[in-house]
Amino acid sequence: MVIPETPGSKVVAPLRDAPAVAGHTGGLSVRMSKRRTTGAATSDSSAGDARTALWLMAPALGLYAVFTLLPIAATFWLSFNSSAGFNTSASFVGFDNYAKAAHDPIVWKSLVHTFLWLAYHVVMAGGLGLLLALAVSRLRITQVFFRTAFFLPHLVSLAVVGVIWANIYDPFFGLLNTALTRIGLGAFTQGWLSDPALVLFSVNIASSWQGFGLYMLLFIAGLQNIDRSLYDAAEVDGANAFQKLIYVTLPGLREVTTFVVSLAMINGLKGFATVFVMTNGGPFYQSELITTYIYRLAFQSQDHGLAAVLCILLSLLAITITIVFNRWRARLSQ
Amino acid sequence: MSVRHREWPVALALTPALILILAPFVWLVVSSFKTEAEIGQADPFTWPADLMWRNYLDAWQIGGFGELVGNSLINLIGVVALSLITCAPAGYALAKIRFPGREWLFYAFILGLTVPVQAIVIPLYQVLFGLNLVNTLAGIVLVQVSNGIPFGIFLMRSFFIGVPDDLIEAAKIDGASHLQILTKVFLPISTPAVQALVIISALSTWNDFFLPLIVLISPEVQTLPLGLVRFASTYASDYRLVFSGTVISFLPIILLYILMQRRFTEGLTQGAIKG
Amino acid sequence: MLKFLARSTALAAMIAASSLAHAETLKMWGPEQITEPLVAQLWNGIKADFEKANLGVTVEFMPPTGTISNGAVQAAIQSDAGPDVILTNSGIGRISVVKNAKQVMPLTEQYEKRGWKDQIYPWLYTELKGQFGGEIYEVPDGLDALGIWYHKDIFEQAGWKIPATWTEFEALLKSIGETGLQPIAIGPRTTGSAGHLFGNLLQSASGKEVIGKALRREIAWDDPSVAAGAVRLQKLVEAGDIRKEMAGLDLDGASRLWFNKRAAMFVAGPWFTANARKAGYDLANAGYAPMPSDIKGAAIPTGGVGWSWLVPVNSRQPELAMKWIDFMLSDAVMKKRAQDPASTMIYPREIPGVEPPTPVLKDIFAAAAGGVGYNPSVYLPGPVLDTYFQVIQGLISGQIGGEDGMKQIQAKMAEAK
Repeated sequence: MVIPETPGSKVVAPLRDAPAVAGHTGGLSVRMSKRRTTGAATSDSSAGDARTALWLMAPALGLYAVFTLLPIAATFWLSFNSSAGFNTSASFVGFDNYAKAAHDPIVWKSLVHTFLWLAYHVVMAGGLGLLLALAVSRLRITQVFFRTAFFLPHLVSLAVVGVIWANIYDPFFGLLNTALTRIGLGAFTQGWLSDPALVLFSVNIASSWQGFGLYMLLFIAGLQNIDRSLYDAAEVDGANAFQKLIYVTLPGLREVTTFVVSLAMINGLKGFATVFVMTNGGPFYQSELITTYIYRLAFQSQDHGLAAVLCILLSLLAITITIVFNRWRARLSQ
Repeated sequence: MSVRHREWPVALALTPALILILAPFVWLVVSSFKTEAEIGQADPFTWPADLMWRNYLDAWQIGGFGELVGNSLINLIGVVALSLITCAPAGYALAKIRFPGREWLFYAFILGLTVPVQAIVIPLYQVLFGLNLVNTLAGIVLVQVSNGIPFGIFLMRSFFIGVPDDLIEAAKIDGASHLQILTKVFLPISTPAVQALVIISALSTWNDFFLPLIVLISPEVQTLPLGLVRFASTYASDYRLVFSGTVISFLPIILLYILMQRRFTEGLTQGAIKG
Repeated sequence: MLKFLARSTALAAMIAASSLAHAETLKMWGPEQITEPLVAQLWNGIKADFEKANLGVTVEFMPPTGTISNGAVQAAIQSDAGPDVILTNSGIGRISVVKNAKQVMPLTEQYEKRGWKDQIYPWLYTELKGQFGGEIYEVPDGLDALGIWYHKDIFEQAGWKIPATWTEFEALLKSIGETGLQPIAIGPRTTGSAGHLFGNLLQSASGKEVIGKALRREIAWDDPSVAAGAVRLQKLVEAGDIRKEMAGLDLDGASRLWFNKRAAMFVAGPWFTANARKAGYDLANAGYAPMPSDIKGAAIPTGGVGWSWLVPVNSRQPELAMKWIDFMLSDAVMKKRAQDPASTMIYPREIPGVEPPTPVLKDIFAAAAGGVGYNPSVYLPGPVLDTYFQVIQGLISGQIGGEDGMKQIQAKMAEAK
C-alpha cells in the first residue's frame, strides 16, 4: 500500500514544506516523515502514552488477532499436516504437502493465471477507471450523473456479476454474440468461455466491469487535486491538450496511480468469485486461479493440507508483490 | 472558462461508454420481468410480453426476503458500528501517539490487507466453531469487521496523519487525555473519512457471499446473497426469481450510494489520497 | 391477587401447551426446487400428512444452499444448527465424502430393524451393502436413468430414428449436422451434466461389466477397453458433432439450445421434466432412448442412486428422522409422489399400479426396467471426481485427447484410497 503525497493538497500548508519522505509507503516498509514523528510528548507521559495507545488499539487488536492472525498461523501449521476435513484427524507430514504442491502442474498453471489475472485487472480496471476519470472530471453539470452511473456496477455483488456475464457470454444466445451477429460482425463471435486462449480474459472483463468504478473515483479525486495554476502555466507555454495531458495531468496523478495500482494488484490477487461462478476454473483448468484451486482442494477434494500450502503461497505472493512494488516505486521517484 | 464549452461534446462522447457499461444492468432488469419460458427463449433483445411484476412478489415471498433483508441490515449496522469503534481509535494511536513497536504493529495490520479470506477460511471456521459463533450474525459480524480492520485502520490513520499536531498540543495544554482529543477534536473534523469508511464497509458487507455461505446455515440468520442461492438447485434454476431477487438486493445499496455519494467521494479523496 | 394468579396460571399453561406443541421440530434439508410452486405444493402436502400422523411434530424445510459437491451440506452439518435429516444429490462418491468426514450416521441397523431393506429394490440393497463393507449410510429416494432426449416432431419430419448400434448413430449425427441443427447439446460447466453424456459414452463403448470393473479398480482407466468411450468423445468433437464452444455452457445453457430446438439431442434423466416444464416445452414431444451401442445389451441408460436421505451424526431428532424416512418409504407417500405432476424421478422400489403422469417418464421407466449401467459421477471417489469432470471439459474444448484424459483419471484413481 502506498500513502501518496499529493502536491497542491488543500490541507494545511506546513505539509507542503515538510521534508516528507517520498517513499511514504504502507505495506512492510513504512517510514514516517520526520516532521510527523515530532510530538511534543514530554518524557514523563511517554509510558502513559504507550499504555493509552494500547488501550485505544485493544478492540482492533483483539478482533484482528483472533479472527485474522490466529487463522493465518493455523493455516501455516495446517500446511504441514495431512487432513481431510473438520472431523478427521490431521497427521503431521512435514514438508510433504509442499513437495506435492511443487510437483503439481495445476499449481504452476494457476500461478501463471493468477499473474495474468492481476495484470489484466490492473490494466483493464485501472485503465478504464483512468480513461473515464479523465473524461468525467471535465464535466460540470452532468458530472454527478455520469459518476454515479459509472459507479453502479461496483455495487453489484461479484456472484451476481458472474451470473449476468455468463449469460452475456453464452455463445448461442448471449447478448455479446447475438449483438455481433445482428450488426453484421458475426465473424467475430467466439466461444468466450470455452476457448482456452480467451476464457481468463473474458472472465476478467466481467470482474473489471465490476471493479473499475472505485478506481475511477480515486482518479477523479486525484485529478481535482492537481493545481490549476500548472495548467495555466502550460497554456502560457503554448501547450495543446495532448501535451497538457502528458506533462501536467499524468505526472500530477503519479501518487494516485501508484495507490490505484497497489489496490488493483491486491484486489486482483483476491479474485475468486467471478471465476468461480463463471467457469469454476475450467474448462480443464484454463481459468484456474490460486484462489479457485484452494477452494477446489478444500471443499471438493478434501485435501486441506495441500490447500493450506497454497494459502501460504498466496499470502507470500501478496506480500512479495507489495514489497517489490513499493521498492520499485521508491526507486522511480528518485 | 473553456471547460464549460467542453461539457456537451464530452458528455456525448461518453454516451456510448455509458450504454456499454450499463447494458448488462438493462438486460438484467428487462429479464427480471420475463416469464421463465421467455427467459428460456433467451433472445436478449426481446421485450417481455407482459411485465411480470409477479416475479418480484414471488422472489420476496418464496425467497423469504423479508427476513433476509432484516438480517442483512443487522449485519450491516453491526459491521459499520464495530468498524468505527475499532478503527478510529487505532488509527489515531498509530498516527499520533509515539510508542515503541508502533511501526511493527502497523505492518502486522497491513499483513491482513494482503491475505484474502479464502486463504484462511478453514481455521477461521474452526475459531468460530470453538467460540460457538457459527451460524450467528454476531459471528459473521466479528469476522467481517476483522477483515476490514486493515483497510479501516489504514484509512483513518492516513486521515489523522494529515491533521496538524498543533491541535494536539493545544488540547494537551488544556489538559485533555488522548481519548478526549480523539473524541472531541479529531472525530468531529473527520467526517469525510468516517463516511468513506461507512460506505466501504457497508458495500462489502451487503454483498458478501462467501463467508455467509459457510457460516450462516439456518434460514433465520441468513443474509440476502444467500437468498439468491435458494433459487438454484442441482440441475435447474428459477431464473425469473434469481433476476428479480438480484434487483431487489441491490436497490437498497444503490439508494444508499446515491444519497451519500458526494460525502463518499470527499472521504475517499481525503482519506486515501491525502498524504 | 387472585386475578393475578389466574392470569399467570393461564399464561403458564399457555406457555406449557405451546412448548409441548412445538416440542418436536424436524428440520429437513431440502427438497431442492421447493421454490417452484408445484414442488412446494407436493411437499407441503407431504409435510401436512406427516404432522397429522405425528401430533406435536412440526416439519421445517431448510431450502438448500448447495450440495455435497460444493460443500454446502457439510457446512450445514458442521454448524450444529443444522438439519436433522437431509435429502440431497448422492451416490457412493458423494456419500463417501460425508462418511469419511464422519458427518453422517450409519443406518445399517435401521434397514434391518425397520424393514427398509424390503422396501427398496433387492439389487439396490445388495449394491448399497457392498459399498462400505456392509455399512449403509443413505436411504435412496430417487434413482437416475440417463439417456438421450430428442424431439419427436423433428425426428418424425426428417425420418430419423435413434438407432440400435453406434455405427448407425454416428451416421445419424452426420445427417443431423447437415441440416444445421446441433446434433448434441452439452453443458459441461455443470459438472453433473458433463458426467451424464460421458457416462453414456463409456457405457456404450465398453459395456456395464467393464465400467464396473474400472470403478472397482480391477481395470485401469487408461486401458483401451475403458478409454474407448473417451476416444469417442474426442472424435465427436473433432468431427464437429459436438461444438467446442459448448465447453463454456452450463446445463441451463445447453438445455436452452435443446428447448429452443437448435439442438437435436441432449443427455439427461427423468429430472429433466422439471426443466422442460419451466421452459414451457411440450413434454408430449419429448422422446427418450438409451445411447446406442455396438455391444449387445449395452444400449441401456446409465444411472445409479440420484438422491438419498442422510441423517447427520449431530441430528437433534434422530428418532423422528427415522420415522420420517419410514414415512417417505411408505406406499402412501410413494404413490402420492409418483402420481404428482411434479414427480421427476425413478423411485427406489416398484410401485405397482401407478402410471407416471408424463409419457416420457413412462419411456424412461421402461428403458430402465431392465437395469441401468453405471454413471461414474455417482460412483467415483471425491478427489477423482474433480479430475474426471475437468477432463471431460478438456475433451469438449479440444484441449486433451481421450487417452491422455483417461491417463489423468487413472493417476488420480491410483492415488485415492
